Amino acid sequence: MTVGYLPGAGFLHRAHPFTAMAIGGGVAVLAFLLAPPAGPLAVLALGVALAMAAGVWRVLIPAAVISGPFWVFLFAIHGLFREAPLTALGLSARMTASIVAFLLVIAVVHPGRLVEALLARGVPFAAAYLLAAAIQIVPRFQNRARAILDAQRCRGLRLRGSPLRRVRAVVALAIPLVLSALAEVDEHALALETRGVGTGKRRTILHPPVDTPLDRAIRWAVLGVLAVAVLVTYP
Amino acid sequence: MGSSILFEGTTSKRNRTDHVSPRLLALIPLAIGINLALGQFAAATALPLFLDTVGTVLVAVLAGLAPALLTGLISQVVFTLVTGNVTWLAFLPVQLFIAAYAALAADRAGFASVRRAVVGGLGLGALAATIAAPIAYFAFGGVTSGGVTVVTAALTGLGVPLHWAVFASSLSNDLLDKTITFLLVRTILVTLPRRVASRFPGVSRALGLHR
Amino acid sequence: MTIVFDRVSFTYPGSREPSLHGLSFHAARGQVTLLTGLLGAGCSTTVLVAAGVAPRLLGGSVEGDVTVLERNPGTAEGWRDLAGRVAVLLPTPWTQLSGMTFTVADEVAFGPANLGWDREEILDVAAVAMDQLSVTHLAQRDPATLSGGELQRVILAGLVAMRPDVYLLDEPTVELDPEAADAVYALLPTLAKTAAVLLTTTDSDRAVEVADSALYLESGQLVSAGSPCDVLGSERVVAAGAGVSVATLFRDAGARGPYPVDVAAAASRWMTA
Repeated sequence: MTVGYLPGAGFLHRAHPFTAMAIGGGVAVLAFLLAPPAGPLAVLALGVALAMAAGVWRVLIPAAVISGPFWVFLFAIHGLFREAPLTALGLSARMTASIVAFLLVIAVVHPGRLVEALLARGVPFAAAYLLAAAIQIVPRFQNRARAILDAQRCRGLRLRGSPLRRVRAVVALAIPLVLSALAEVDEHALALETRGVGTGKRRTILHPPVDTPLDRAIRWAVLGVLAVAVLVTYP
Repeated sequence: MGSSILFEGTTSKRNRTDHVSPRLLALIPLAIGINLALGQFAAATALPLFLDTVGTVLVAVLAGLAPALLTGLISQVVFTLVTGNVTWLAFLPVQLFIAAYAALAADRAGFASVRRAVVGGLGLGALAATIAAPIAYFAFGGVTSGGVTVVTAALTGLGVPLHWAVFASSLSNDLLDKTITFLLVRTILVTLPRRVASRFPGVSRALGLHR
Repeated sequence: MTIVFDRVSFTYPGSREPSLHGLSFHAARGQVTLLTGLLGAGCSTTVLVAAGVAPRLLGGSVEGDVTVLERNPGTAEGWRDLAGRVAVLLPTPWTQLSGMTFTVADEVAFGPANLGWDREEILDVAAVAMDQLSVTHLAQRDPATLSGGELQRVILAGLVAMRPDVYLLDEPTVELDPEAADAVYALLPTLAKTAAVLLTTTDSDRAVEVADSALYLESGQLVSAGSPCDVLGSERVVAAGAGVSVATLFRDAGARGPYPVDVAAAASRWMTA
């Protein structure tokens, strides 16, 4: 199960990142706007159809895994104990539709293209930088955490036993990781400086994504659909 | 202020690279990495612990309020991207509150002693649960992350009204998690090598070493 | 002179002993200046001070005058004027990735883009730099998937693309395999045609081939300066274990200094002996 970008050339891959995000965001908002349980169920079907059409049906696997617990717990809490299975159905469909929409967007929008689109739109460099850097640091720190865990387990670390012992063990893992991360700050700051960050120059955007009139029309259409949905649901 | 060395250049021209100092641009992603890695450690203990705000609290101490808010915001976005679980985003207000609370605690020597850190952590846990519970209740019908939800479901099964069940399970988790988070941050601050600590004026303030 | 140190002393924050004591030297455009010494001699600190990182980023206190391209890199204004003109390369490739790019090509173009150059010009210089560092075949790879050696070459390419006037290279090849290290050293004279190159390394054997002059430090003090052959073949340097291997072999064999530093010199001395 992979969460994140899936290489492809479907219509959402080719669209401007903002367009794909508007469509995904529209689906998620619609799921919360329309009356349950029929509304959210219909929106969920729309989300699934979009994922298939965009050539990323594989997002449905993580979507099922992530939304599974919602179905179980919502039916347990509302269906069994409070005898309102329709409430559970509506809420579950809502969650699942937004999860599908979200996974769809991150599957078709490459983070690099999103960053370029944000910069092209005038988002401050620092904001675009932090978003990209945070995304990039994830695998690095996941690997580092895993390596530390494995190494300490080999040296006899036990993450079982009494709660106090487990807390002590996790603190012993955390401190070297945090100290090594803080030791990197100045070196990385130097690296950024020497590459011209902080000079006050206006950054050149290398690959601005193309924003066609069709892209803009679709984004307005999404907004229109949402406006209609509001008027229909809350007349 | 501790943040004066981190923020420089106040012009607002688009795409210019000097809004935020390179040092802060280096620090924030590393803090997000810390949030993520410690979250992974916490999960490995199978305790009701998250530890996914240690980096945010640390930035609040080292660099002040605004950088901590940014760290909290981006952490939440990145957790959402990594897990694919968009429902995390709804808890963004909790992350931002933690950042603000930690910045205040740091400014008031909230890490000066173990006792102060415990009191600060318990206070944060209580307030964070108070913010998180209504979000879990209204947006998600009481269902949040795994461990908490089991407690909620069990309490509901015993006949406790749902909103109280959500609050109780959320509170028990947050009190423990935030207390350990504050204690951990205090331990880190105390262990920081002098060369590193001296570069962040916020450290001595948080430890109450000078006022 | 491009880099001038005039009686420079530097003390790290939280430390009592200065790491550099009254260091004076200069490095000129058109030359590769080798800065060498044992671990802890102050070579890396000299690079950090020349980059103005100490004290601007790291803190600490500087005495004496540091001048790079007629400016003081230790002040915010000085550094702002020097932006993009001073390239610093540290031995740790991971911390030097921009962290913002998703391909090697964009990583190499990161510096020029921050300097606001024209898009076409950036793509040109990035292509040339990637070719010079033999990383063109990696252009579309994600930097996170590269080996340490590949990464170090990509980062150097990113600096070359900025066409700086000064290169401050701290142990640039520790992550590299022997062939890649040879290639990087072979490139240094080319870089020096348009810039001053200050190089610190413990790899004296390779450095002596490309350096135009050498400085030898011990405990933060300049002990000897001159042509690379004189410095790296001198009794004191070889005795300290910082000389080139040919010279060390001669000394171990019981010969007397000054020692030959390359195979040709060693052969001619062998003949005349």
